[in-house]
Amino acid sequence: MKVKRYFLIFVVLFGILFTQCQQSERKNMVLLPVKDDPTVSFRLVFKVGSAFDPKGKEGLAALTATLLTNGGTKKHSYEEILRMLYPMAASVSSQVDKEMTVIYGRVHKDNLNAFYEILKEIVLTPGFREEDFTRIKSNYLNYIQNTLRYSSDEELGKAALYEFIFKDTPYGHLNQGHVSSLKKITIDDIKAFYQKYFTRANLVIGLGGGYDDSFADLVRRDFRQLPQGVPARLPEFEPPAFQGLNILIVEKPRANATAISFGYPIKLLRGQPDFYAMALANSWFGEHRNSSSHLYQVIREARGLNYGDYSYIEHFPNGGRRQFPPPNVARRHQIFEVWIRPVPKEAGLFAFRAALRELNLLVSNGLSEQQFNLTREFLSNYILHYAPTTMMKLGYALDDNFYGIDGHFLELFPQKIKALTKEQVNRTIKTYLQDRNIKVVFVTSNARKLKDMLINNKPSPIKYKTPKPQSVLEEDKAISAYPLTVDPEKVTIVPVEKLFE
Amino acid sequence: MNLSFAGNFFPYQYETYKLPNGLTSYLIPVKGSGLVAYYSIVRTGSRDEWEPGHSGFAHFFEHMMFRGTKQFPGAVYDSLVTSMGADANAYTTDDYTCYYLVLPGSKLELAMTLESDRFQNLSYSEREFKTEAGAVYGEFRKGRVNPWSVLEENLYNLAFDVHTYKHTTIGFEEDIKRMPEMYDYSKNFFKRYYRPENVVLVIVGDFDPEATKTLIKKYYGNWQRGYIAPKITPEPPQKSERRKTVIYKGRTLPILAMAYKGPAFDPKDKMSAAVYLLGELAFGQNSDLYRRLVIKEQKVQFLGGDFSFHRDPNLLTVFSMIKDENDIDYVESLIEETIRKMQQNSADARQLEDLKKRLRYGFLMNLDTPSKIAGRLARIIAMSGRLEAVDELYSTIDQLTPDDIRAAAGKFLQKSHRTVIVLKGEK
Repeated sequence: MKVKRYFLIFVVLFGILFTQCQQSERKNMVLLPVKDDPTVSFRLVFKVGSAFDPKGKEGLAALTATLLTNGGTKKHSYEEILRMLYPMAASVSSQVDKEMTVIYGRVHKDNLNAFYEILKEIVLTPGFREEDFTRIKSNYLNYIQNTLRYSSDEELGKAALYEFIFKDTPYGHLNQGHVSSLKKITIDDIKAFYQKYFTRANLVIGLGGGYDDSFADLVRRDFRQLPQGVPARLPEFEPPAFQGLNILIVEKPRANATAISFGYPIKLLRGQPDFYAMALANSWFGEHRNSSSHLYQVIREARGLNYGDYSYIEHFPNGGRRQFPPPNVARRHQIFEVWIRPVPKEAGLFAFRAALRELNLLVSNGLSEQQFNLTREFLSNYILHYAPTTMMKLGYALDDNFYGIDGHFLELFPQKIKALTKEQVNRTIKTYLQDRNIKVVFVTSNARKLKDMLINNKPSPIKYKTPKPQSVLEEDKAISAYPLTVDPEKVTIVPVEKLFE
Repeated sequence: MNLSFAGNFFPYQYETYKLPNGLTSYLIPVKGSGLVAYYSIVRTGSRDEWEPGHSGFAHFFEHMMFRGTKQFPGAVYDSLVTSMGADANAYTTDDYTCYYLVLPGSKLELAMTLESDRFQNLSYSEREFKTEAGAVYGEFRKGRVNPWSVLEENLYNLAFDVHTYKHTTIGFEEDIKRMPEMYDYSKNFFKRYYRPENVVLVIVGDFDPEATKTLIKKYYGNWQRGYIAPKITPEPPQKSERRKTVIYKGRTLPILAMAYKGPAFDPKDKMSAAVYLLGELAFGQNSDLYRRLVIKEQKVQFLGGDFSFHRDPNLLTVFSMIKDENDIDYVESLIEETIRKMQQNSADARQLEDLKKRLRYGFLMNLDTPSKIAGRLARIIAMSGRLEAVDELYSTIDQLTPDDIRAAAGKFLQKSHRTVIVLKGEK
């Protein structure tokens, strides 16, 4: 069996060990050379994001990055850039999160020089054309006013939860901004934001794949054209403290289902000693889109109430569209989050109670020996799927840089997981998880009825259209009467059209 | 890099292994990753739901395949897959259903034990069946709020009269509601379609082909033939344009969909391949119309052509999301004008060459993991039954000329063959 040399893509990718990964100029460049990779991957990370949006101009960081990658440069119009990239099957894209902006793209080596010239122009000499700005701003407004509010209740619920938890902090708004703030942003705001933050002081260049040393030198030299600037600094802040169940009901009059998200801040970041034990506990409780998730087993598999139920200890955007976590959404503040996919609206409160009860059981009982062993075995192998390509590995290496991880997370993770003990995991659960102080978002119709049931701790019995085993029915009795203590003052109803306004 | 499409375009060597019972396996060993992608492609999708009232059943049945067997009940199956650390899932389309596991190569035999067992000995109770119907309804509910889902359902329902493409893969809501009552039918569905001559295995990654062939024979060798082809009625030629305005129960920018009846997938047929390129040339991001409507005039937020391949003749659809409802007619007139130009003039030679390069680089650059290789092949194999169709298709594409594109536009983009849907949000 003979394989054409040029396309031995993944043979070499999977063979990459991070011993090859180099950090030069102390954290300003992350290199992941893969000699025989026929492609080259770029990830230019600027250590700035939506948390740096000025008050009243929320969405500015995201608009700025999108204008760079979806607009023209000084030399070329957007239309010309699209035309040049088209035959390469390449693109330059951006992703903005709270503290990171990444401009990224991948190209076949055949087209490296031409692609790189475009990438360089996009970042170093953006065009800031009014017509591009108008087009992009209009897309953003449509996203919030129509897509986010109406086309996916579960994504809406998750977005609302993050704003609810981080209210009045730099993390307290949607990365894309709000309708009113977007309308206020001008192209001069974009230029000023770019000049202030798109500087060498904030840039980490990620380069991976089949480039040679001289190319890496060229990239390093070229990006020195950016002004030095000063490192972006976010003021220290804490998510607002709260007590009890705090509930936001997003009312959508025509919703025929209820989407639920809940969570609270946890003081735990990737790379910290307890992170790995918590990752194991979370995996057992709610591994993303995996039937190994305990919540999935309880709510979907045994009861057929919805399509899936998961939990998180790190931000995981667009969970409905991806199987594995994206890189470069690193944050200094994370939440523990539970995502219950839409359930029939009459089962909304029951599903919430079921998840809350399971959280209580996890906190009280921890994992059994069998649960611990199975999850440990699972995670040690499952990590292989997180970053199978150079582009993804590069992303993780850049996140290592953000979190100050000594070594490489992808390599450390299976080692740390294998070294865990059940006692460690159960101790960590007690340290970081709790079921008393939680912020909850429901997206549903008939918000008043739900509020009444919540504040009066009314039982939420469930009727199935199909038979269920006696054990499930017995457990249902405990779930439907699971006690909720909800202060009426802590329940807010907001019509969907007011959200993100 | 070899720029020619001629010869073997698919870059990896592979072996075809056939069992006497009709099961075909494609073995694509690529060393170094430690991983194996194990894809079981059932050449049955929502297209095969020919009996009235059973739309969505192929997808529902995909869910049932995770409910286990007597040897490995659902919980045991889940536990073993979990212990492997496999990325395991499945999806259903109009033309096929695909089950996949991506796992450490050392676990290949265990994976084959589990997969061959459930494909031959699936067993579930009526109670489990009914519970799973609830999860499927949940999936429907999740997607139903999306205007594109509403558009798709209405478009296919209007465009087709008798062919099973009339319904989408998730199915009609009234059929989904009735699913819990179809336990006996589900047994029949399994017996009819989950047969070796209707399944193709694609195994990619770090494994030994000889040892794997032995395993395939061991685990799948006793699987009995018995595939019964669906009685799908061919769609008669459409005689006149169809139109409908749909109101979406939520807010959205208006969406215009103009869909023409297209050809079935045939990798050696120039017209079939030309149509595929036509949609991109006329309405893709390098098209004149895209530049005009999206970038210059900014009257639409989105423009694109979905002229993708299907096993039977399907739709060639131009979609546009329009910023102002008052511009719907204007956008439609420009789409028509573009089609007229494509029918009257040869395609731009440079744009065609750029597109050929794009397709080639796009295909090859995305063969960078075992799972992506298998996933990229799945649709073509499902439609044709053969991996060789990949090389045939790209060889045909390589030969296309600007005149072929014009001819395809003339043949397929006829007003009498089209269905137009305008979807608007509530005010």
